[in-house]
Amino acid sequence: MGRVYIVDEDVEEYLSKLCSQQAGPVTGLLIGQSSGQRDFVVIAAPTPKDEESAGKTVDKEWVSEHARQVSRMLLGGLTVLGVFMITDADAKDTITTLRQLVFAVENLISSEQKWSPAEDDVTDCVTLHVNPKTRKYPFFNSAAKPADLKYQSGVGSCWTTVSCWLNVDLLIPLPDSRASKENSQKGLKVWTRQIENAVCLIDGKKLPEDSELTSGQVVSKRQDLFDKKALSEIISKPRSADVVQPCGGSVTVRGAVHCRAFLHTHKPKVKLAEKVLLKRDAISTVATRVQMLLDEPLASEEQIKDFSERENCPEFCLPRRIFCPLKSSGSLYVCDYQFSDEGLSEIVDRLKEMLGVDTAEEDLDTTQEMTAEITQGAFMAAAAALLATAASMMYYSDM
Amino acid sequence: MVVAEPTTLIIFRVKGSLELRCHLDSTETSHIQKVLSRTFENLRAQIKSESCVFTVCNTPVIIWPNKDVYEDITPDSPCEDVLQRIQSDEPESGGKRATKKKGKKDLSASVISLRLMMEVTKPGPLSAPVISKTVQKSHFLSATLPLDCAVRTHSKDTIKDVCDRLLEALTQQLCEMEKVMLQHMKGSTLLTAEPLHFLLPEPKGLVTVVFPAGVPDKELEAQRRELHQRFKLPNDRPYFRRANAYHFPNEHYKDGYLRNPHHALTHPTLENGKVFMVQGIYSYHHYMQDRMDDNGWGCAYRSLQTICSWFQQQGYVEQPVPSHKEIQQALVDVGDKQANFVGSRQWIGSIEVQAVLNHLLGITSKIMFVSQGSELASKGRELANHFLTEGTPIMIGGGVLAHTILGVAWSESTGQIRYLILDPHYTGSEDLQVITEKVPACT
Repeated sequence: MGRVYIVDEDVEEYLSKLCSQQAGPVTGLLIGQSSGQRDFVVIAAPTPKDEESAGKTVDKEWVSEHARQVSRMLLGGLTVLGVFMITDADAKDTITTLRQLVFAVENLISSEQKWSPAEDDVTDCVTLHVNPKTRKYPFFNSAAKPADLKYQSGVGSCWTTVSCWLNVDLLIPLPDSRASKENSQKGLKVWTRQIENAVCLIDGKKLPEDSELTSGQVVSKRQDLFDKKALSEIISKPRSADVVQPCGGSVTVRGAVHCRAFLHTHKPKVKLAEKVLLKRDAISTVATRVQMLLDEPLASEEQIKDFSERENCPEFCLPRRIFCPLKSSGSLYVCDYQFSDEGLSEIVDRLKEMLGVDTAEEDLDTTQEMTAEITQGAFMAAAAALLATAASMMYYSDM
Repeated sequence: MVVAEPTTLIIFRVKGSLELRCHLDSTETSHIQKVLSRTFENLRAQIKSESCVFTVCNTPVIIWPNKDVYEDITPDSPCEDVLQRIQSDEPESGGKRATKKKGKKDLSASVISLRLMMEVTKPGPLSAPVISKTVQKSHFLSATLPLDCAVRTHSKDTIKDVCDRLLEALTQQLCEMEKVMLQHMKGSTLLTAEPLHFLLPEPKGLVTVVFPAGVPDKELEAQRRELHQRFKLPNDRPYFRRANAYHFPNEHYKDGYLRNPHHALTHPTLENGKVFMVQGIYSYHHYMQDRMDDNGWGCAYRSLQTICSWFQQQGYVEQPVPSHKEIQQALVDVGDKQANFVGSRQWIGSIEVQAVLNHLLGITSKIMFVSQGSELASKGRELANHFLTEGTPIMIGGGVLAHTILGVAWSESTGQIRYLILDPHYTGSEDLQVITEKVPACT
């Protein structure tokens, strides 16, 4: 009749714990994966308390902001599926609030998406009302139709992982002198489209889209530089005006990002793995980090590690991706971004605050992406300089 | 050159695009030249790098030519092995032969398409990205270079050889693109470059030329003249206009018309007979095409369209094939018909066809009168000669019927003659099999 939502028993336990702990209403996000006819919920993340609000009324914007920040911490395949609320208020009152919340979250998530949506994407979000008094769990989808909820143990295990390290070498023009958010997104559009059209090889082979992945731990990717349609458009309208344009500067991004995606079934289809999830992870991690840095005020003292000889091109490290395993699952991870001036303790705190995930510094996987070293000197044009392999990193000399 | 054993020729064609992007601090010509050259240097380095990848279309074959990594094939395999791996395409209407000609030594027998790609993943762990900003009122150059190289090989050549030659061709093409872009640079206006392939008479074969994109043929006369000289070609017929670009057999024609459907037929055998045929490419125009219902009255118009298509595709004219209305308007413009002729369903004859060819395309034509059809046989020599020297299609009209003659099989000794006719009265779709089976050749 509708979609079936399978919730991990650990999540149920967690919600029960929250029920017994809290006095006031608790809202939070349900996180998991949508696939086919079933959805899997693996995390329930309570929204952090906002000190300013009284805590009485539920703040739509606050929850949406929570959803936005949480989305950045999720790897390919995992998304915010819905909203939950633990309150002993009447179901009738709660349902309106919940629906408002869920619409706000849905809107925010689709507007934040940096990739082109696919036809078979599921965009329905769900609401879950946990009433500690009655222990009833009315569960609805965003169209206010009741959805089917099942609890199951071990939802967190049996996930397939695909991952890769993606080389990034971008040169983006700036339309005016401020690198605002709109500009950075527009500049990334070309690159995003290239990634979407890239051909993925699983273990070095190109598999037909309908075939199944049996053991695909490492995926290497090819880039199809332009799809045919784009190519023919350019040939037919080669106006010289298109070639050279005035700009207010440029931004270069060079380095590599580690991308990862999870699929729930044992034998996921190749198309889903490569096309949808891994590519989306790649696109969003680059876009997120570029946004993070360009959103920060320019030339903040802590950010600048080193000045090169040419005054105008300070280089900043983009935050690097740190991975954190989920205790409830053998194979699932979440992530966070570490700025160059942060230590791991800040990561641990953020994971607890945003996702409700308990972890310790030694559990974090910091090996996937290494901190870039900024070189001294104007190496903007030389493509090779900043790409580092383990063997040939360049160190900046002492000033 | 004598070929010892019967090896077939295979064309390997690689296509792909590289992005040309650079930041220009100033629009001073010498600065642009310097930055552009440096950027092209980087692109050439990409071709030589280990990230360069060839994928063979419709096969699982993937090659990293600079890393000597071959997926699904070995470097020493003869390149004809690739043919066996190609999964069959669906037969498309509009160009694919219905029957395979046996024993026909056709250059276009096998074309293998490859895509040029760049690998963007590397084994990790690697360093997280670094971002750098330059804030300055300046300019940005962004273009896509459509690389397109073709090499002709013998079927026994190894894959490794082919890849080496393709890499060389790609590097060479980037150099030529750089030259063309710098040559046609005016101030800070730049054009991208566009490679085209041309099939020259043997033994020159397939040749690739880089032109500035968007510049019309008439402005490129100097370049074409130099090419004619370089390849020692006569100056009285075009070889390097855009319309002359070689059409690879595995490519679709975007306009949907069939090209040279007569190639699918076998020649008749006559005692001491020889075959004299139209030279070059024409497209088949017939009743009901272009959503124009001209069934019963439009045959001469369609024959005229076929003839116009010949002149356009050989590069003699740039005008596209005229519609019925345009043909009628041309006749009104020369005073041959009244204004109400346009939009009518009136039949035209040879005289009108001649007038339109002259007025719209600037082409002169000769009309040969025969008082009855049987007399045509006596004109065998003249028709044969026409196909030898001019090679254009012939329109024949009489009474209320018009046809196009594409060739004759004529015996000088017996006087026997057979005609190859393209029938404009066909009302079906562009299905080569139906057309070659159902539409008979007249005798």
